[in-house]
Order: sequence, then C-alpha cells, then structure tokens
Amino acid sequence: MRSKFLLVLLLGSVVFFSCRKEDPLVVDDISGLGGDTWTPTAIDKWLHDTLVIPYNIATKYKWDQSELDLNKNIVPPKEEKVIPVMRSVKRVWMEPYILQGGELFFKRYSPKLFVLAGSANWNMDGSITLGTAEGGRKIVLYLLNDFKNKTMAGYVPADSAVLKQMFHVIHHEFSHILDQTIRRPVEFDNVTKGFYTADWINTNDYAARQDGYVTAYALSSPGEDFAEMISIMLIEGKSGFDAIVNSITGSSVRGTTAAEAKAKLRQKESIVVNYFKQAWNIDFYTLQLRVRNAIVNEIY
Amino acid sequence: MNRKNYFKISVVLLISSVFIFSACKKYDTAFKESPDQRINTALAKYESALTGSAAGWNGTIRTQNGAIYHFHFRFDNSNRVNMFSDFNLETATTARESSYRLKALQTPALLFDTYSYLHLLSDPDAAVNGGDYGVGLASDFEFSLDSLTADSVLLTGRVHGTKLTLVKATQADFDAWQNGRWATTLGFENINKILNYFRRINIGGVNYDVRINSVSRTVTFTWVDGGGNSRQFTTSYSYSATGVVFVTPFNTGTQTLNGLEIVSWDATNGVLNVKVSGTATTISGANKPLKVDLSAPQRWWQTAASSGGYWISLDGFHVNGVDDAFNLKSVPNYYFVVYWPNYNPGSNDLFAPVFINAAGNGLELLYGAAPRAQFTVDGRAIFTNLGFYGTYPSSGPVRQSLNQLLLPQGYYFVQTGPSSYDMVSSTDAKAWISLELVQ
Repeated sequence: MRSKFLLVLLLGSVVFFSCRKEDPLVVDDISGLGGDTWTPTAIDKWLHDTLVIPYNIATKYKWDQSELDLNKNIVPPKEEKVIPVMRSVKRVWMEPYILQGGELFFKRYSPKLFVLAGSANWNMDGSITLGTAEGGRKIVLYLLNDFKNKTMAGYVPADSAVLKQMFHVIHHEFSHILDQTIRRPVEFDNVTKGFYTADWINTNDYAARQDGYVTAYALSSPGEDFAEMISIMLIEGKSGFDAIVNSITGSSVRGTTAAEAKAKLRQKESIVVNYFKQAWNIDFYTLQLRVRNAIVNEIY
Repeated sequence: MNRKNYFKISVVLLISSVFIFSACKKYDTAFKESPDQRINTALAKYESALTGSAAGWNGTIRTQNGAIYHFHFRFDNSNRVNMFSDFNLETATTARESSYRLKALQTPALLFDTYSYLHLLSDPDAAVNGGDYGVGLASDFEFSLDSLTADSVLLTGRVHGTKLTLVKATQADFDAWQNGRWATTLGFENINKILNYFRRINIGGVNYDVRINSVSRTVTFTWVDGGGNSRQFTTSYSYSATGVVFVTPFNTGTQTLNGLEIVSWDATNGVLNVKVSGTATTISGANKPLKVDLSAPQRWWQTAASSGGYWISLDGFHVNGVDDAFNLKSVPNYYFVVYWPNYNPGSNDLFAPVFINAAGNGLELLYGAAPRAQFTVDGRAIFTNLGFYGTYPSSGPVRQSLNQLLLPQGYYFVQTGPSSYDMVSSTDAKAWISLELVQ
C-alpha cells in the first residue's frame, strides 16, 4: 500500500515539476509600437480635422529622420509654418482636383503621406532639392521655414519661387499616380522619341525646350516628361505655358528647329488634354484655370 | 528477480524520470526585465527628471568648430519645451516654445522635433548661422541620453556627436534669462558695430587692440610689449550670465584674465562699458593701430606681384558701419572687385569690378582703372590713378569705389591671415576693405 502511494506521488511529481510554458500572446509594451505619440496641439487637431478625417492624408511635421535622407543635414519645420503650407496645398492641389474629378476620385488616388522639413535638402554640388516623392504614397516638402505667401508679413515676389516649386512637386507626383493607374497614350512617348537621356542634368530648361521638352527634367524619360508637361501646364496656367512655347527661338544643338519644337510641345499638350478627358473625364483646361487661379491668389 | 526487485527498479526509473522529463532549460538573463520594459522605465525616468525641474535646465553645447553655446530649457509634461539661447540677441531675450519627445531609438533618445533655437546651429543654410552650406555648424537636435544623476543629464548627438550637458537650473539662473542679463552680455558683439576698424581697451594701464569674430566666437588682443614689439593673443570665448569667458585665460604679464564682465552698450557713442577684474573700463573705437605694421603695404603689393596673383574682395568697401557701402552688389552680374598689382609690369596696377559673363559660365573684365601704389615711411599706401582701360563709369557704385581707393591720405594694412589683408583708411579708420589673394 505504501509503495503504491509512493508510485503515485512520484508520477505526480513528474507532472508537477515540468516546465511552465509562457503564453506566446503576452508581449511587452514595446516602446513606439504603433507610431510615436505626443500630447496633441492645435496643429495636430487642424491636420486631423482638415486632412485625415476627410481624405485620410497624414502630415508628418515632427522630426523623423527615417522619413528623410540619412546622409543629409535637414532640420524640422517651424510650427507656425505647418498650417499655412498645408492650407495652400489644399487650395492649389486638392480643391481643383476635387472640383473637377470628384471626391471619390481624389480620395482613391491621392498620396497618403506628407512629410515636412524646415530647411532645403542640400546636395553635394551646392544645389538644393525642394521636394521629393516616393512610390505615389509619400511626398516630402522642404524649405517650409522660408514659406511665405502674400498674406504673410514681409512677402516679396521672389518668395513665390519657393511656393511654385512646392506646388510643382505635388502636381508632378500626382501626375505619376494618374499615369500609373491609367497608362498614358503610347503616342505621347513617340512625339520626341530618341532624345530621352539620363544625362538630362547637363541640360538647362531652355535647351530642353528647343528640342520640344518642357523642362530639362522632362528629358529623363517619357514618364517624367508626361508628369512635367502636366505639372508645368497646371502651375504656369494657359498663358504661362503659351509664353514658354513662344519663347523658343533658333535651332537646338541636335538640329530641331524652333517651329518643330513648338509643334511637338503643342502635340504633347493635346495628348495630355485628351488623356484627361478620356481616362478621367476631367476637362484639363478648366482644371488648369482653377489651379492657376489658386496659385495667383497665393502669390499676387 | 523477485517482485521486490521489480519494484525497486521501477522506483529508480520513476525517480530518474522526474529528473529527465521534468527538467527544463532555463535561460540566464543579465537583467530581470525585458529590453522593452527597461527602455520604458528609462524613458519614464528621464521624462520625470526633465519635467521635474521647476526652474528648468541650463544647457551647454559645444559644436564641432569649438564654439560653446548656452541654452535654458523648460520642459513640461505635454511635449512642449521653452527655450532661451545665447545664439544671438533675439534668442537671449525672447523665449520660444517648440516641441520635444522622448523616443527609443535603440537607446533612450531626446528629440527636439520642431524648429527651435537649438536648430539654428544645425540649419544647413549657412546664412542662418555662419557655418558651411549643407552642414551649418554641424550641431545636433536628436540626442541619445547617456546618463542621469540627481541634477544633471549628459547627452550625445546622434548624427554629429555633439555633447550636450544639462544641469538643473536655479531660479536665479532662470531669472538671468528673463530679466535680460544674458541679453546685456551678448552686447559684447556690439564691438563689431563700432565704426572704427580698431577697437581699444585699457587694462591695468596698458592699451590693447581687440578684434572679435562673433561666428567662430574668438577674440584677439594685440598690444606692444616693453621692447616695442607687437604681441598677439587669441582665444575662443563663450558667454555667461555676467559676461564673456575666455576659454584660454589671458595672461597679460601682470595679471591673468578669465574674461570680461559686460556692463552696458552705449549705442550713441559706440562704446562698450565693461569691467576687468572688477575695474570699470571701456572698449571704444581708435583711428590708428597701436603699432603700425610699417612694411605691410609693400608686403601686400609684393606678395601678389611676385606670384602673378591679384587681390579680390566680394563685399567691396565697408564705410561708416555699412558693408558694401557703395552697393557694388546692385551692379548687374557683379561678382567681385579686383586689385591687381603690377598689371602692366613696371607701370601700373589694375582696379576693376569683375563680372559674370552672359552665359553664366565665366568671368569677364569690361573696364578698369590703372592706379599706382606709393608707400610712405609711416606705413601707408597711397593710390593715384594714371588712366583707364575701356569706359569707366563716371558715377555709381564702381566710380564711388574708385574714389574711395584714391583717398589722398591712403591706407594702413593689417595682415589677417597668410593670404589676406585688411586695408584700412588712415584718415579715421572708418572705411576698410578685406582683400584675399587669388593666384
């Protein structure tokens, strides 16, 4: 009897002494998991109410090195610049597209993250970058600390250069999203076929125009050309674009005559206009008018 | 074997099975808690320390170029920080609010995450802080928290390795910022507003010429020793609530000075009232150097002439407190003004503005004056004009600059570096031009 009892006790101890296994579902409170948090301010509330709630667009204005070039010296923006910049972005980019393309169109295709930086992004050669974009999702705007529109104290017309560059970047990137969603017509790529080059950086805007490209960057590839055409036409307006076309004189180093270059730019223009109508049912000239008027209201 | 033996064997087997099957591998951990728990504890500890000081924290930062800047931080518990700084008069006078957060970036880190006075040092636009374009003063605003004691926090910048020290402030420290004591101290930089090129202080009966560089924060004293030789002492300086602190104490021979106490700036007369070791004295303008460098004008001329080089100045003449007094920079495509010794060998020199050409890829000389330099025994150079190349404008910035050059009393020369000179009007030292050698 005693021996049986001992056996049972020993068997039980095998069970009793075996290891406790940790429940794999219990995890620690990982710092920063789910994004950084801080006590919201009036700026956070404005951004949330104006951009997150209606359009699901986030704006990161607080420093996060991982969103920017790690090898560059960049500083975060002044807080007082955040709302004026995003208000201008709303007026110059969001509202014209919403009015022409509809809310659903805009919500579906707009990039979802804006990252703001206070200084410019200085390059090794001393030039500066005022805007970059990644994958149709994220747009980085630089030089916010120099942002001034006509409503701000000390505005001089020269400040409009920073503004226009900023709007140019946003419109350029949004054009890529449209192009990648419904492909641009093949005939666009054929208009100035053969001249596209990775060496565009050694060309200036005027030389590019003599070959029928709207900017030097348009030379880099047909996709960039398409985005440059759309963004330049939108931010410069109809008369501004006409002035660019009419400024072309003489022949290019590659032998394109002024008349040929003008005809090529006009041909690209009409392809863009048709693309907007057929792909998106947007009247491009009305959109152009709205964007340009919004810019004029910012700077004059 | 009988039953008893069977039983014995089973008992042995069972006992060993207790050890074999119930044993389990235990990990030896160096810490009781997980890394996440520990970093959260560390962050909470730093946050309560930072927000716990009612009078805030005194911050000292040393940038890569060696300049020392002081800050005053007041952290609250809703991610806001109020700051003063001795960066300039404005930052020393008006507190600015921005945001901060504590974040786990492998180590506990303190981020100043919107623009503040601290970012003035890091701004890659050199126009903001006098540093280099693209880098600024190579300072940080994202720091890893190295250590925490009862009244101090040590931090290291995550990009440039800038050292930031926070020491718990007293109410008196905080008041020194609020009541403008630091702003008075920063009045030291007003020395550069004195209209004369030479600025002089009398310490213990000896005169010293004082020159400061407010960007690199260095001060240079020049004096004449008992043997009549010119002597010089240069040190970095930083500010304190009472005055200027010399990083290397200045041994005058009779006493050792650790700094100057700044009393007030008299803007009307252009005089800075200071105290040296408790004795009141002033820093004011002088129209002549303590000891004229007699051979400087000839050295200046010969350096360029013998190497085939020439002297340039981007800013032109500084007159009566105004940089580029004749507004040369308003002339279209102006790049710099050149003085070219021995331009026409044995006959004349060249004084002319140099322009950027229409294509924007080169320089061009459109016209020029043909002066000649004469050197006096008392260490001046006097310029007379012999004629012109091309059509020299009869009025405007370029002509005014030439008229200034041809000042009949001439110029003293002060060598400021191996290949740089300042040419200072000998009339009253209120006009000068800084020249650099190009060869």
